[in-house]
Amino acid sequence: MTRGYLSIIVVLAILAALPFLVASNVVLNFVVFVLIITLTAQGWNLLGGVGGQNSFGHAAFFGTGAYVSAMLQVHYGVNAWVALAAAIAGGAVVGWIIGFLSFRAGLKGSYFALVTLAFAEVLRILANAMEFTGGAAGLLLKLDTGFWNLQFSSRAAFVWLALFFVALALFISQWIANSRFGAHLVAVRENEEAAKALGVDVLAVKLRAITISGAITATAGCLYLQYFLYIDANIAYGVWISIEALLAAMVGGRGLVLGPIIGAFSLHGLGEVTKLAAGRVPGIDLAVYGAVLILVVGFAPGGILGLINKLRFRGRPRPEPEKAATPAPKTEEAA
Amino acid sequence: MTVFRNSISRRTALKGGAAVVASLSAPSVLRAAEPAPVKIGILQPVTGALAQDGEYGRAGAEMAIKDINDAGGIKALDGAKIEMVFGDARSNPEAGVQEVERMQSEGVAAIVGGFASPICLASSQAAARYDLPYIVDVGVSDQIISRGLTNTFRFAPGFSICTKIAIDNLVRINEAAGKPAKTIALVHEDGLFGSGLAKLMQEELPQYGFEIMESISVPTPSRDLSNVTLRLRSLNPDLVIPSTYYGETVLLARTMQQQRVKPKAVYAVLNGAASNRRFVSSFPEAAEGIMDCNHWHDPSNPGNDALMKRVEEAGKQWNYNTPLNYSCVGLLVDAIERAGSAKREDIIPSIASSTYAEHLMPYGPTKFAENGQNMGASPVSTQVQDGTIMVVYPEKFANAEPHFPVNG
Repeated sequence: MTRGYLSIIVVLAILAALPFLVASNVVLNFVVFVLIITLTAQGWNLLGGVGGQNSFGHAAFFGTGAYVSAMLQVHYGVNAWVALAAAIAGGAVVGWIIGFLSFRAGLKGSYFALVTLAFAEVLRILANAMEFTGGAAGLLLKLDTGFWNLQFSSRAAFVWLALFFVALALFISQWIANSRFGAHLVAVRENEEAAKALGVDVLAVKLRAITISGAITATAGCLYLQYFLYIDANIAYGVWISIEALLAAMVGGRGLVLGPIIGAFSLHGLGEVTKLAAGRVPGIDLAVYGAVLILVVGFAPGGILGLINKLRFRGRPRPEPEKAATPAPKTEEAA
Repeated sequence: MTVFRNSISRRTALKGGAAVVASLSAPSVLRAAEPAPVKIGILQPVTGALAQDGEYGRAGAEMAIKDINDAGGIKALDGAKIEMVFGDARSNPEAGVQEVERMQSEGVAAIVGGFASPICLASSQAAARYDLPYIVDVGVSDQIISRGLTNTFRFAPGFSICTKIAIDNLVRINEAAGKPAKTIALVHEDGLFGSGLAKLMQEELPQYGFEIMESISVPTPSRDLSNVTLRLRSLNPDLVIPSTYYGETVLLARTMQQQRVKPKAVYAVLNGAASNRRFVSSFPEAAEGIMDCNHWHDPSNPGNDALMKRVEEAGKQWNYNTPLNYSCVGLLVDAIERAGSAKREDIIPSIASSTYAEHLMPYGPTKFAENGQNMGASPVSTQVQDGTIMVVYPEKFANAEPHFPVNG
């Protein structure tokens, strides 16, 4: 049962200790943002990485989380923690609905990807047009720091809050990876027809995955709201967050429990380091970001963790990778 | 292991030590002669979708800092020079917040800029955590000044001021010409400012006897506006009011020109292109006669001509963001001068009580309301006449008469 948990605990311990080691709010602010991206990507990774259902529209869940929480707080004065719980539930419901509509219709591969993209876009346009969502002006939470408002004056407190949810998502992912449900999910990814022939209820497995995935990503949306205190349709339902979600998971190692966290920190960390090193050349970090992406897709389709495993076991009979939740997906499929 | 052998003689060590002491003490001598520079954070989006606007703003802020330093720095602080800490907000609020954190760690005295409302909202909030003064340059959303943040000031007019004045100006221009315009079609982008503006116009304009025939919403970005133009042709309104960003306005104006849709006037509000020199120089025929109620510099102030010349000599482009950011930096430095201190707790009340009049905008002296809005600020009505953007209203700042109606 302890398979995989050790590396998770090590990574979490390092991040949890960070606020004690680094006092700089520049670093802590960066860590909070990357943790929010990590959480979004963890949601994606469960459905897209482990389950092989590539979604291009995780913004639908991210935005729903952010909007549900914001609307409850702004319009009804609901407590922020209660709103957070409602937001997670909202993300799960939207996940289930999108999953039910598209999986029942048998949509797979690029068709599923396009449909999720469309769902996110529809939600973006609705949020932009409706009065209830603040329309195009968006929704603004009042700056009122305090534990019960889920707003913290210290950046460190928010690092720990975000880390708590990332940890929860990590343990859920690891638990799923070790469970029968996880095995079913991998079976569906590798060969849906064969899984069906072996008695796996494909629709139910996929629905469970997208519901949990939606809930995790909605949590990230809610954290974004609590941190930046302002959302509009383009922030919450914009394509940018869908891309962040799948990039972090793919660069880190799709289908691997630690993939999203490694991917998010490497990509954004590299961006920040380049920004520091290159000084005042605007956009240089984005160029490096693009170059890394090309390299990863071209030479390490299994992501950073996939590459490490490949190098570690080169020329040796490959043992069951310890960190891997599931065997890395086949190269040609990932590319 | 000869590596660790101490081969340095006593004499060498003494000589070296003396040199180190001398070199260390030299900067402190310099420091005594010249006071420590005051760092000012300039936040603009210079990559991403808003890069063009960010560059206009950056040019203005850079020139202001250069001018102040050339004129002897901040006099109240013994001629302390201003050091710019530039931050790229990358056209999104997260990057804006990250840059505010970096500026805070580098010890800036205040921050100027932001441009887009979402960036301004998030960045000023991040700055509020440190009581760091923040002067918003453009950001028109009224949410910016409705949050009770004591650190945030907006020098330029916001959304509600702009729309009110736009409607007032339109009514006055129309009345002066004998009320030729009665029917109106609104073309607006479906985002924050376009839809909000259209809603306000639909409520306000009928009170002045105008008839709103239709309100057409267009997405940003749009690649083709033929259908919108055909609709305008069949409606045949006296007045078209476009509230769109740069690309869509250019597209609309060009499609209207190609399809020969000629309303009596095009009266834009806070438009992305109608008072942009790039649009006017690229498509002079399509732009001719278009009116806009927007941020614009004061043409009667000779400082603007000089600044415009320098911006062009530097190979950069000029837009209202340039004099606006130039003036925002001036406003901040004026506040530091009067406070006699670069401490943030001294700067904030000094900005709040500011009556700064030496700026380049058609505003009059600054007067900040409790919420941080400069109540002296107002937009002006401009019109493209013979390929040049002229101010036509109010008369106090105008350098041309309005041509109204343009057609017919």
